[in-house]
Amino acid sequence: MTLVVGLPRDERATAALHLGALLARSFGDALVVCTVVPPPWPPGMGRVDAEYQDFLDRDAEQALDRAREVLPADIPARFEVARARSTAAGLLEVAQAHDASMVTLGSSTAGVLGRVAFGSVAERLLHSSPLPVALAPRGFRGRPDGRITGVTAAFGASEGSDELVVAVAGVAARLDATLRVASFAVRPRTPLTAGVGSRAEDSVLDVWAAGVEQAQHAVLAQVAGLPAAPAVREAVIGHGTDWAAALEDVGWDDGAILAVGSSTAGPLERVFIGSRSSKIVRHSPVPVVVVPRGAALALAERAERG
Amino acid sequence: MATLMQRSFRRKPVAAMAHETGSDGEGGGQLARTIGLFPLAMIGIGSTVGTGIFFVMSQAVPVAGPAVIWSFVIAGVVAGLTAVCYAELASAVPVSGSSYSYAYATLGEVVAMAVAACLLLEYGVSSAAVAVGWSEYLNQLLGNLFGVQIPDLLSQSPEGGGLINLPAVVLVVLCALLLIRGASESARVNAIMVVIKLSVLALFVVIGLTGFDTDNFADFAPFGLTGITGAAGIIFFAYIGLDAVSTAGEEVENPRRTMPLAILIALVTVTAVYVLVAVVAVAAQPAAEFEDQEAGLSAILEKVTGSPWPGSVIAAGAIISIFSVTLITIYGQTRILFAIGRDGMLPKFFQTVNPRTRTPVGNTVVVAVVVALLAGLLPINFLAEMTSIGTLVAFLVVSVGVIILRRTAPDLSRGFRVPGYPVTPILSILGCIWIIIDLRPITILVFLIWVAVVLTWYFTYGIRHSRLNNRGVERKDVL
Repeated sequence: MTLVVGLPRDERATAALHLGALLARSFGDALVVCTVVPPPWPPGMGRVDAEYQDFLDRDAEQALDRAREVLPADIPARFEVARARSTAAGLLEVAQAHDASMVTLGSSTAGVLGRVAFGSVAERLLHSSPLPVALAPRGFRGRPDGRITGVTAAFGASEGSDELVVAVAGVAARLDATLRVASFAVRPRTPLTAGVGSRAEDSVLDVWAAGVEQAQHAVLAQVAGLPAAPAVREAVIGHGTDWAAALEDVGWDDGAILAVGSSTAGPLERVFIGSRSSKIVRHSPVPVVVVPRGAALALAERAERG
Repeated sequence: MATLMQRSFRRKPVAAMAHETGSDGEGGGQLARTIGLFPLAMIGIGSTVGTGIFFVMSQAVPVAGPAVIWSFVIAGVVAGLTAVCYAELASAVPVSGSSYSYAYATLGEVVAMAVAACLLLEYGVSSAAVAVGWSEYLNQLLGNLFGVQIPDLLSQSPEGGGLINLPAVVLVVLCALLLIRGASESARVNAIMVVIKLSVLALFVVIGLTGFDTDNFADFAPFGLTGITGAAGIIFFAYIGLDAVSTAGEEVENPRRTMPLAILIALVTVTAVYVLVAVVAVAAQPAAEFEDQEAGLSAILEKVTGSPWPGSVIAAGAIISIFSVTLITIYGQTRILFAIGRDGMLPKFFQTVNPRTRTPVGNTVVVAVVVALLAGLLPINFLAEMTSIGTLVAFLVVSVGVIILRRTAPDLSRGFRVPGYPVTPILSILGCIWIIIDLRPITILVFLIWVAVVLTWYFTYGIRHSRLNNRGVERKDVL
């Protein structure tokens, strides 16, 4: 299998490459580092277009050269320039051609350091990619010999959440990493004008958390019954007054990644990131993999077969 | 086995409440004291202005005549006294669920259920009343802008000659959908609503003044003092929400100073605005014309100016602000039922939380259906009076609770103490009783029947399912 790394032509590239290397090393896969340039227009007068095309190609090659220097030497990698109308479509075409299992991207430079921020390509892929999409927080750097040591599955206790956990459990077992099921309880402010006190919302959330805790244990019991289950399994609920605090609350080790499912509102085959997942992803301090439901189902079946 | 008396007067330990609401550590923790004097006063003004004033005039003026101005002052003073008492209990018992929880911790289970019956009126019935008022203004605006009005058949209660008040029902359903999705009003929305409401009322006062006619003050109090207090009972409806200030106690900076000042500022502001509106309204048309006048403030402005646009502006402002009031009131109702369900006195259904939306969906749907039926089928004056009596009795219990708690737990730490104890709570109690006895007998009768129904529920279901059953009777370790 291979992993495609979408390479932007600026400093964002380093985070994406480091995440690609971390994933490739952990899975024992090869990388395809790919940058996408627009296709030529129909030839016109004066060949101005050709000059622009030359510039783009040179620029892309330079980007790939820089990537060769950044990428750790132990990772087998190919470097490609793809031509496509849109970057997202180009990356997916390359992924298909190489039978890739995942697409890896960096964060937008408009984001905060250490957090995931969606760029335009990520935004597009997160609503249409048939493959899981891995996103690096801005400024992400991996250790030279780093591997994934723990996978956290975001668990909403709603329809489809179980499959994601089972799928992630299978992957974690293959990686010999720990599995953690995490839910996030964000305490909303009670509207004070209602006159029911500042804590009315807390008790609702407590009931929710109790229900989620049960569901977490049920799904972990399901995981324990898998042919190859991860050795360490735990469940946590992160509490906070906002999403950032709730995500921080569960604690993150070096080598941790977070897996998030895709919304049941979208089509089965493609990633369609939901409003809550999107909040979780954007406040994650560690790399995130967003898994389409179709891919989660396939991985879950694979885990159940052993 | 404890006697029935012991069981029905058992009290819920405050520590257990604090544990349930997460205020003892896990995630919740101590709330930061971040609310200052001005924002707190804004919360009070925001949650008070705009519920009643937009439609109580047409109910209150026929009862009191132009002396309704004094009714506003009386209702305001009583509301202020009760709010101060409310603040002391809220600071002593830092839990959610409003006066129901305070009564449970201080006066016993059966009293808490009686208070719950009052709160169902204060919240459930008042959201119905507010929704009916909204529909009046909607119809007014539709008429002014498009020349089309929803026919009486679909915009009036059966008593008013219609079939069902459809706009009110639709409003309730919309609010319920928002609440199920997990909407909640933020401080900023509250601030915007306050500005809208106050500017609408200011507009009314300024334009309404042009129609000032002292002749309308002749025969100032045709029904004497009885009329004035009777109207105060109806008007009390317009002061509901002042207690919201008290429940914010845990987040208030320096509550000892801030709390009474904020209540005072909110009270003075609100009363001043109401009295101005009342003076202008009463001076603008003879007292007899208020009766059965729909969308009162809009209608008066139209009469004064002879052109529809000022009325339309008022109606538009009312529609926006009353919408947010309805949303918040229904929200409060669901959370109170949630608290009662958590204590075991309602079936578990009321405290199940949908894992996806993280809101009590079933609870919200039940509340919405009941409120929609009330709003669709009952006339506004009956709803407003029922709300007033429920609120008055709940406040009465809270004032009694302050006195009892001072005697049973004098050393309990209180973030805020009533100034002028014991005069203030006693005045508050007397004020409530004074207003209550001048309400229509039918209102008092329906209220008593309603409380009896709720208590029957308590003695047949609640007392056996109460979560305190598992802990035994805890009379000693209270507080």
